[in-house]
Amino acid sequence: MSDIPVTQLGRTLHLQILRHNPRDPDSEPRLQTFEVEEADAMTLFIALSEIREKQDPSLQFDFVCRAGICGSCGMIINGRPGLACRTLTRDLPDHITLAPLPAFELIGDLSVDTGKWMRGMSEHLETWVHSQGLEQADIDSLEESMEPELAEQLYELERCIECGCCVAACGTAQMREDFSGAVGLNQITRFQLDPRDERSDADFYQLVGNDAGVFGCMTLLGCEDMCPKDLPLATQIAFLRRRMVAVR
Amino acid sequence: MQILYTDVLVIGGGLAGQRAAIGAKRRGHDVIVLSLVPAKRSHSAAAQGGMQASLGNCLGGTGDNEDVHFTDTVRGSDWGADQEVVRMFAHTAPKAIRELAAWGVPWNRVQRGDHQITVNGQKQTVTEPDNAHGLITSRNFGGTQKWRACYVSDGTGHAMLYTMSNQAIAAGIPVHERMEAIALIHDGERCCGAIVRNLMTGEILAYMAKATCIASGGFGRIYRVSTNAIINEGIGAAIALETGIASLGNMEAVQFHPTGIFPAGILVTEGCRGDGGLLLDGAEYRFMPDYEPEKTELASRDVVSRRMEEHIAAGHGAKTRFGDHLWLDIRLLGKEHINTKLREVKEICQYFLGVDPVNELIPVRPAQHYSMGGIRTNYRGESPQLKGLFSAGESACWDMHGFNRLGGNSVAETVVAGMIVGDSIADFCDSPDGALAISTSLVEEFGERERQRLAGIADSGGSENAFELMKLMQETMTANVGIFRDGERLQEAVSTLQDLQRRSRDIGLRSSAPGANPELVAAYRVQRMLKLAQCVAFGALQRTESRGAHFRADFPQRNDRDWMRRTLAIWPGEEADLPTLDYEELDIMRMEIPPGWRGYGAKDYIDHPDTPRRQQQLDEALQGMERADRHARQEALMPFRHLLPEHLRGNNQRLGED
Amino acid sequence: MDLLQSLTGLLLVMFIWGHMFFESSILLGKDAMLWVTRMFEGEHIFGKPYPLLVSAVVAVIFVLIALHAILALRKFPANYRQYHSFHRHMGAMRHTDTTLWYVQVITGFAMFFLAGTHLFVVLVQPDNIGPYASSDRVWTGRFWILYALLLVSVHLHAGIGIYRLAMKWWPLKAETAPRVRERLKVAMWCVIGFFLILGSASLLTYMKIGYDHADRAGERYVPAAASAIETGK
Ligand SMILES: Cc1cc2nc3c(=O)[nH]c(=O)nc-3n(C[C@H](O)[C@H](O)[C@H](O)COP(=O)(O)OP(=O)(O)OC[C@H]3O[C@@H](n4cnc5c(N)ncnc54)[C@H](O)[C@@H]3O)c2cc1C
Ligand code: HEM
Ligand code: HEM
Ligand code: SF4
Ligand code: F3S
Ligand code: FES
Repeated sequence: MSDIPVTQLGRTLHLQILRHNPRDPDSEPRLQTFEVEEADAMTLFIALSEIREKQDPSLQFDFVCRAGICGSCGMIINGRPGLACRTLTRDLPDHITLAPLPAFELIGDLSVDTGKWMRGMSEHLETWVHSQGLEQADIDSLEESMEPELAEQLYELERCIECGCCVAACGTAQMREDFSGAVGLNQITRFQLDPRDERSDADFYQLVGNDAGVFGCMTLLGCEDMCPKDLPLATQIAFLRRRMVAVR
Repeated sequence: MQILYTDVLVIGGGLAGQRAAIGAKRRGHDVIVLSLVPAKRSHSAAAQGGMQASLGNCLGGTGDNEDVHFTDTVRGSDWGADQEVVRMFAHTAPKAIRELAAWGVPWNRVQRGDHQITVNGQKQTVTEPDNAHGLITSRNFGGTQKWRACYVSDGTGHAMLYTMSNQAIAAGIPVHERMEAIALIHDGERCCGAIVRNLMTGEILAYMAKATCIASGGFGRIYRVSTNAIINEGIGAAIALETGIASLGNMEAVQFHPTGIFPAGILVTEGCRGDGGLLLDGAEYRFMPDYEPEKTELASRDVVSRRMEEHIAAGHGAKTRFGDHLWLDIRLLGKEHINTKLREVKEICQYFLGVDPVNELIPVRPAQHYSMGGIRTNYRGESPQLKGLFSAGESACWDMHGFNRLGGNSVAETVVAGMIVGDSIADFCDSPDGALAISTSLVEEFGERERQRLAGIADSGGSENAFELMKLMQETMTANVGIFRDGERLQEAVSTLQDLQRRSRDIGLRSSAPGANPELVAAYRVQRMLKLAQCVAFGALQRTESRGAHFRADFPQRNDRDWMRRTLAIWPGEEADLPTLDYEELDIMRMEIPPGWRGYGAKDYIDHPDTPRRQQQLDEALQGMERADRHARQEALMPFRHLLPEHLRGNNQRLGED
Repeated sequence: MDLLQSLTGLLLVMFIWGHMFFESSILLGKDAMLWVTRMFEGEHIFGKPYPLLVSAVVAVIFVLIALHAILALRKFPANYRQYHSFHRHMGAMRHTDTTLWYVQVITGFAMFFLAGTHLFVVLVQPDNIGPYASSDRVWTGRFWILYALLLVSVHLHAGIGIYRLAMKWWPLKAETAPRVRERLKVAMWCVIGFFLILGSASLLTYMKIGYDHADRAGERYVPAAASAIETGK
């Protein structure tokens, strides 16, 4: 039977971290290197916590669930966006470079304000079920029935954790600040598919039928390749593009 | 200091907080939600397995209804719960599910026709009927008689929280993210908002509100090994405790989940066992049937966790250099099932263990999971001691869980409580009591006090390290206030915590970075967390019986005669190092189900003299009602509908029931 | 607009691939090439070559390219800051598809000039196409430099473009998409490789013919059959 996989011990990791505290007028962005002794099953969450506890208590970063389900800990790990809490150090070389996700407002060091961005995206794209009379919904009677496959399909698209990796991985988003990103486009396809949402394709066109929306995407596919939840982003964007073209 | 005004201040952006906010907003009140993190990152998102509601659509749920759900919950609580509240809850849960379904949660649905399921390690085929096709389905969970846990694959909490948050956004409810409530503002009788620290800038602000609702979730992080998110530090409950007026209920009731992955403590859902997964020991032998022949792996969590630890203690664990553990086996469920219905589990195993659960066993050991205790409220969700203070969700002791919560009852509680408490808050704001009549000078005073406290830490030059104290506290709790407790170890924990609390007054900082300063955050939090930990340890030391998750090796029996009572902890003052404990009697004469055997676990307990008397009363009440419908019979035993907001009182429609 | 951009792109790719086959007819011999040239000039239909027909085709293609280029230009980094952030991003990510897009932008930009020149030449001298005329242009006229660059640019651009088109519009099933994408990518490289080899071979042939013919540059090719008849006379 398998045992818990064990790393070759005794490695010293060199973590090069992009430091900057925008609240501090004297702070300039700089790289700072920390050394950490690697431990078994060490994740970047464990390594960073250890640095904060033992070496530099001012180091800022965000973890919440530390289990890869809340989307808080997106950062650039050796050049690519990923979830730090579920990145095992044994899968990385000795030298690890960490930087905050670009395209989001920096709070400090590795911490960025994805929440504000996502809320803005949500408000802008109206990512909720639009339906008349939701407030008076009759909740005593049997629920509306739904095909089981459809429910599963919806969940597949809803697995997004708004981590922002797709936005950080997208060249378009780097160039255009108003781009909704794969995260937004995917959510639109989720509501488009949902029969409970009464919006028509023409309504969706108003939201994403432009260069900040689906027509801004240049099919760079970084989003799909970097999405920690393996969402079928390219397929969804292609789907949306076809629908939106058909509207006109 | 900036002061913001609103009608309702909700501290916490999880399921409970946001549902309460939506409720109050719909009634026309301005609401602001505070959260440590973006609302969708709240720990509710981590709930994998399911939400209990007696829909009874699928085959395994046939015959389910509020009565069965009520019974399961009361038994699960080991008779520690408030039965009226449990009734309110079981009655409203189906409505909550249906509301969420209308709002967009993609609940898994019943598929007509044949299905393979795994029961007791055996494959079986069941056939779902046509008329249920497309209705919300449910899975089996521990401690329940029916398949009642409605689910969205194994991302139930995620799907619920996203839908809830999106509806809150649609309703235009602002969420002030990265804002931490660090004190409640009150005049000794009435709570009127909170002092809040901005976790990006370090700034201190005041929020004044007619009603304040704490929905800040659990406090698992007082333990070293916990399935909880690392933000679950219980500051919401702690600031209520620090008022010295509001009380915390049943803090010693802490749940340990049987299947935290070893050694990280990350949870794999109960759904694994519900769907047919088995627990194996070091020799890959299935041991649960030996201990619990009836419910086996699916007894309630307190029982399974205890049996697991018992089995490890008997030397049957798998040994590693991190300690011993057991195995969870879901291989028999098959690749197809694991890849669709247990996908998060698969990911967690892959990323954190490097194990593929389709072919390999998962190393598990019980880990702290849930806090039944919290801010004591009445059935309306309001603190009985401090007017204008409400609480809902895991942070509250509304008390429907008693001493052990059933899997899936917690996210159900968050939404149901949110629905009910949202209405009570609105009622309160509409009533004459709701008017805010508090001077801004009092607010300034509270703000100044908190500023002083923070400055005191920052400038103290003290020698203690906040992170170090945090670690010591967590280790003490895990070692001494865990699954098996006894007087000696609890006493040791209490003294250690007292000592740590003393030391925590002498915390110094190494960093003075402007902004939030994570070290300062750790410092002021550990001071508060130590108080919570002390409530747990001291409460456990005083409770000389075993009930639900609270198990005293030196008092292994449930003792209804002396302990049919809820612990209430109050913090007497800043200098105190122990809470004042008070007890609230649970009146058997008002129970619909008087104490008895749970149907699993140990059978011996010490009876209360009221139990037979109440039983007799109940039997009499039912006489002549043989032909009445079940609602009327229930009404005769313990009426509860009048306690609910009017729009939630109607009967729930079900297949095969009118 | 996106649709239009893609459509023009698609048409251009179809054209260019066709173009490659026709133009590589030189590999089969000078006669074959002449035949193809004549076909385009409409000889087989009208019995007599009309070089103006070529001009017309060129004009259409020209419009297509212009349209395509204008539409695609929207996607160009609008200023240095954007260019810089993209470049840094691409460097850090080392992500194939992102880099491929960059290649497309660069080659597109290059073609703006290269294809422009080429088209201009065939537009104003439509009658100057044929085994010798072309070869002379290639060799003596030093056009091979331009063609070599153009060849590489256009095929990279076209190959990547087609792959991107597939990803952009093709309705794939989410479950199979990654596998299809993998295969498409392989196919893309094969196609690019194929055309590059084909193109280089024809270019070399043109160069060789041009080299051999350098001293008689300007002379027109007379089909073998025709010269045979002449000799027979
Ligand atoms: C791993 C795991 C799996 C679970 N699975 C299930 C399951 O399958 N079924 C089930 O029924 N239950 C499950 N539970 C339990 C359930 O998820 C939680 O009890 C429930 O979600 C709690 O919701 P809540 O709204 O009360 O709090 P949370 O969702 O924890 O939200 C707390 C909110 O309060 C905010 N907050 C906290 N302190 C402050 C402060 N001082 N100031 C401002 N804001 C603050 C936080 O930012 C957050 O927004 C699970 C729990 C865990 C840990
Ligand atoms: C003057 C010349 C040209 C320029 C400036 C140019 C520029 C571009 C650019 C920048 C793109 C990327 C656009 C995007 O990703 O949205 C693109 C795409 C494309 N180009 Fe060109 N191009 C030129 C000529 C050509 C030619 C000659 C062909 C045919 C061989 C061609 C075929 C394509 C195709 C198929 C695409 C993909 C279409 C799409 O993604 O929608 N282009 N071009
Ligand atoms: C209708 C328009 C076109 C005509 C009639 C045409 C014709 C020709 C001819 C006759 C040649 C052989 C060399 C010569 O005579 O100079 C040639 C070569 C070439 N053309 Fe075109 N062309 C056209 C459009 C294009 C376009 C739009 C492109 C790309 C953007 C292109 C790319 C090339 C390349 C790369 C070569 C070199 C081929 C090789 O290396 O084998 N052509 N073209
Ligand atoms: S789509 Fe994927 S990468 Fe983008 S935010 Fe969602 S989970 Fe993250
Ligand atoms: S990376 Fe960006 S350009 Fe489109 S395909 Fe993804 S959103
Ligand atoms: S901390 Fe939640 S995803 Fe990493």
